Amino acid sequence: MTGRARARARGRPPGQETAVPSVGAASAQQSFSSHPSGHRQPQQQSLPPTLSEEFSGRGRQRVPQTVPKPRGLQISAGFQELSLADRGGRRRDFHDLGVNTRQAIEHVRESKTGSSGIMIKLIANYFRLTSRPQWALYQYHIGYNPEMEARRLRSALLFQHEELIGKTHAFDGSILFLPKKLGNKVTEVFSKTRNGEDVKITITLTNELPPSSPTCLQFYNIIFRRLLKMMNLQQIGRNYYNPNDPVSIPNHRLMVWPGFTSSILQYEESIMLCADVSHKILRSETVLDFMYSLYYQVEEQRFRDACAKELIGLIILTKYNNRTYRVDDIDWDANPQCTFRRADGSEISYVDYYKRQYNQEITDLNQPVLISQSRRKRGSMILGPVVLIPELCYLTGLTEKMRNDFNMMKDLAIHTRLPPERRQCEIGRLIDYIQKDDGVQKELRDWGLSFDSNLLSFTGRVVQAEKILQAGKVFDYNPQFADWSRETRVAPLISAKPLDNWLLIYTRRNYDTANTLLQNLFKVTPSMGIRMNKATMIEVDDRTEAYLRVLQQSITPDTNIAVCILSSSRKDKYDAIKKYLCTDCPIPSQCVIARTLSKPQTTLAIATKIALQMNCKMGGELWSVEIPLRQVMVVGIDCYHDTLAGKQSIAGFVASLNQTMTRWFSRCVVQSRGQELVDGLKACLQTALRDWFKWNKYLPSRIIVYRDGVGDGQLHTLVNYEVPQFLDCLKTVGKDYNPKLTVIVVKKRVNTRFFAQSGGGLKNPPPGTVVDVEVTRPEWYDFFIVSQAVRNGCVAPTHYNVIYDTNKLKPDHVQRLTYKLCHMYYNWSGVIRVPAPCQYAHKLAFLVGQSIHREPNLLLSDRLYYL
Amino acid sequence: AHVSLLQCTYQNTMDKNFQEEPCTGVIKFTPPLYKQRYQFVKDLVRKYKPKKVADLGCADCTLLWMLKFYNCIEVLAGLDICASVMKEKMHRLYPLPADYLQPSERSLTVTLHHGSVAHEDPCMLGFDLVTCIELIEHLEESELEKFPEVVFGFMAPTMVVISTPNSEFNPLLPGVTVFRHQDHKFEWDRAQFQSWALDAAKRYGYSVEFTGVGNPPTGMEDVGFCTQIAVFVKKYPQTSEPAQSKKPTEAAYKTVMFCMFLHVVKVFRAVYPSLKDEKYLQNAVVSEVMFTAHAIKRSLLDHLVSEQEDSNDDPTERKLQLQRSVNCFSEDLETLAVEKSTEPLTNGSVVYIPLRKIFSFPKVNQLCGTFEKLRKLITGKVTLTSDGSAVVLDTDHENEEN
Repeated sequence: MTGRARARARGRPPGQETAVPSVGAASAQQSFSSHPSGHRQPQQQSLPPTLSEEFSGRGRQRVPQTVPKPRGLQISAGFQELSLADRGGRRRDFHDLGVNTRQAIEHVRESKTGSSGIMIKLIANYFRLTSRPQWALYQYHIGYNPEMEARRLRSALLFQHEELIGKTHAFDGSILFLPKKLGNKVTEVFSKTRNGEDVKITITLTNELPPSSPTCLQFYNIIFRRLLKMMNLQQIGRNYYNPNDPVSIPNHRLMVWPGFTSSILQYEESIMLCADVSHKILRSETVLDFMYSLYYQVEEQRFRDACAKELIGLIILTKYNNRTYRVDDIDWDANPQCTFRRADGSEISYVDYYKRQYNQEITDLNQPVLISQSRRKRGSMILGPVVLIPELCYLTGLTEKMRNDFNMMKDLAIHTRLPPERRQCEIGRLIDYIQKDDGVQKELRDWGLSFDSNLLSFTGRVVQAEKILQAGKVFDYNPQFADWSRETRVAPLISAKPLDNWLLIYTRRNYDTANTLLQNLFKVTPSMGIRMNKATMIEVDDRTEAYLRVLQQSITPDTNIAVCILSSSRKDKYDAIKKYLCTDCPIPSQCVIARTLSKPQTTLAIATKIALQMNCKMGGELWSVEIPLRQVMVVGIDCYHDTLAGKQSIAGFVASLNQTMTRWFSRCVVQSRGQELVDGLKACLQTALRDWFKWNKYLPSRIIVYRDGVGDGQLHTLVNYEVPQFLDCLKTVGKDYNPKLTVIVVKKRVNTRFFAQSGGGLKNPPPGTVVDVEVTRPEWYDFFIVSQAVRNGCVAPTHYNVIYDTNKLKPDHVQRLTYKLCHMYYNWSGVIRVPAPCQYAHKLAFLVGQSIHREPNLLLSDRLYYL
Repeated sequence: AHVSLLQCTYQNTMDKNFQEEPCTGVIKFTPPLYKQRYQFVKDLVRKYKPKKVADLGCADCTLLWMLKFYNCIEVLAGLDICASVMKEKMHRLYPLPADYLQPSERSLTVTLHHGSVAHEDPCMLGFDLVTCIELIEHLEESELEKFPEVVFGFMAPTMVVISTPNSEFNPLLPGVTVFRHQDHKFEWDRAQFQSWALDAAKRYGYSVEFTGVGNPPTGMEDVGFCTQIAVFVKKYPQTSEPAQSKKPTEAAYKTVMFCMFLHVVKVFRAVYPSLKDEKYLQNAVVSEVMFTAHAIKRSLLDHLVSEQEDSNDDPTERKLQLQRSVNCFSEDLETLAVEKSTEPLTNGSVVYIPLRKIFSFPKVNQLCGTFEKLRKLITGKVTLTSDGSAVVLDTDHENEEN
């Protein structure tokens, strides 16, 4: 916690939080939300049993058979459900299909590609889907006379005519897809039910779909899922895993299942399958086992809190079916003997229910129950919270504590972080499976489809490395490593803030450590140009209150910064100090864990790092790169979703204040559930412009927003809601003020991977690799940049999607600017994955979400106090 | 053949017809009748604990899916004339992730076959319980004729359950004119069903008892249950284990070879992970041993550290002390100590955890049974001392700086 906050602030995108129960939703919903602290009446009857009795679950979701479908209207509704909610779950457009932003951006309609840099041969984890020439998918509507309701009967009657239809078909009860065209547009056939009733079936051709039509894409994904199932892969969540050779890491009771994530989409030139290796981390212990082992680790009174902290937000897997749930709460007042009301109105206890339904014995009758707020819908009805029994649920994924466990992550990385060649090989296995499995091949052949057996290869560009400018000097560094810490180590900074009056607070035990730090700071600061006086050294007891009291007593208006040496990584002390110094008493602060300073061989390097960090926190500037664009304000936005306390979301907003992009305005929005994030962002934008004006005496003529923290499927909201709000906001600034605006969505979590061919092998593409062909989407103005270098595993490119642009910069310039901004994050002397303002915004949101929980004092807003 | 496709539509749709409003005074079963039938079978399974169960006319495999949760069952098979209905939900019969996470003690194999109950097939041999829930009324006359010979004569399980509608109940069901379902070939009253069943029982050496589900309303008791059920039990159960389905006699193979390829096709097979399988047992034991060993190591190191922490606050001093306490065993003494003691001990950067100690943990003990088995299973998978008496773990690993 030397400010090296975990990059794990990823929660769910805010859109998902808005499962606000509609009026008249199950009463349970209300009774639940009125007890946010998890205290609920032990009587459970109000919870409708989403322990669904009809459970057919994982298969296709079906329109209730008793309700006749409106004719014609929802032609492909059934199939839509199939593709997006194959597990009978929620329906979401994860791929943001149908958001067509490029057509509105005039200057990139023809071409969105950049030009600078040198060419590089690349391979990506994509396979072309090919169909035979003149391929089309034929969509038919099937009508019955007399009307037949049961879907099964409908298909049985229809497939009496297999000689007409053929063996290859997909039918959802009213729409039939065939790979061939029937002789007539309308075909009438007759079937007989077994008791002799004649049924007239009318097969009407409604559509002839070209390979790239959206329905076809859905259809490909359905077929592909069929294939994965045929290959015996297990579906968990959205991906498919192979249970047959798991890797087990016994000392943590972890199991890693290798698997694949895949999607078929229309990309720039062709329809392709994007396949990547995915690893599912499962744990061979139940939630109850976990609770017990936790019980022995923590004190009695902290047990419940500890459980909540470790478990809430985790995804669990039930023993008796293949469903995953997210733990939203733990109900300590309930136990397995509580009852709930079944769909038929009868009351039954959980114990009896599980015994009867799944023959599962619940042995511990005193365990609490887990609550999961269902985001599933059945029809239009939002289901109430789901109650789950810890003993019958397995944990998946990692807890926060595990993520912080260096050794465990190291053990895990051996299996999950694959170097380029291994990764390519594993991805190749998927295609191998497909090519080798006769059943799969037959299915594909019947539909007239096939996959390329080779990964997609194409040409990308590596743009030139950026020179680092620092106080009049220019630094070159090895662009392969994307790191200049060595080169700039003893160089003077652009702007060094003096340490005239500062505090160094430590416990008695860390007296030596504090002194060593002081000595080392004296060694490293002069060359940086930092003027430093001896700190006011204060010894405290190792208690939170002691630290706070000392801070209250010793901080004067002249204090530059307070440095606290902490004896452990206990979060509460850190949180309290940060909270006090960011809100009540706004001065920069630096916390250091004593252990970090304890290794003699690294102390000097660490002191250097701390000195740089402190300088930034006080408003100093370290380095810059050349920014040719004038009068531009760059904004970064990222979100943090607090899953624990009150479910609030925090958006960090960071905007540049000067031409060199070395000073930033930072603010954040703390938004409770149900509020709109964008209202707060508007306020941030206004203050940022005001500050810009103060600094520059004019307003920026260009604004470029890098928007991070956008979840899958949320692009639509951003385009239709957030961007117009920004535009509105700009109008209110001044009558004649009419800046140009560019909004770029930044996405770090993509399944795309690039490999560079070198010699006979594959390696990671070098930093600065830009890809704006082949794997981009035709309907977007988007590109990928590999900006960072990684030491092991595969580098993940970052995806940039320009969704709004009146700046009319050339694509090449946007790409270059974006890459430049990745060099400007002062907590790392190297290139990072995202533009610096996004990383700053992330840092800020993370600090506020994890430790401060409310908006920091605005007096700090012109400094990077949160680094 | 296509006509028989309709047979499959039966099980689920039919009962929906019965869900009438209670206020009209017509019959409504709670729980619904189909659930009562399933419950009847489940109760039988709980009571008699059959190892091998076949469901003839398994439709969408709902009953099979319910039965897979019963730990007594090691072989589950389904047969239906309609492959597409079987396939529709057969994925429910695959092992779940949880089954891999903690493989069960029992072994379980689930298979599905596409074919007719009127054909003898060796894959249908060797069952303890055969269920035919609402099946016979869908059979054509010719099929019904062969049915007793196939089920009682050829398959010859210990127990057979057959359910079918009781036509005497039909007048109480609104809207039922001829049969309850359009695909029914007949619906019998109790006398007809019982005489058919008694006849079959007599011919093939079974005893039979009659019961049912779906109680008639008060005052109408004389119509009997809505669904009538016959439970057949073989009179002279084979003294040995029932014939193994895997190894039917040579003769049986020959006689049915022809039918097998023509009429019954395997459409699904899933073998559940089980501790009976050496591979899974070994994985489970190695995991448990490693987990236990690490837990012991952690508590040992914590203990050592906290002892020192009490006496002194200085980290460097502490390290020395730890070193001292660790080194108090002289080199040669130590091997002796490991052998004799069941207590773990540390030496420099290594911790020795005696296998005996690990074996004393209930989970390990339960998995292996004997100490020899434990040793055999983990050899080559876990780092042991040269004499194989203790697990060796590194200590320094633990305190690495991040």
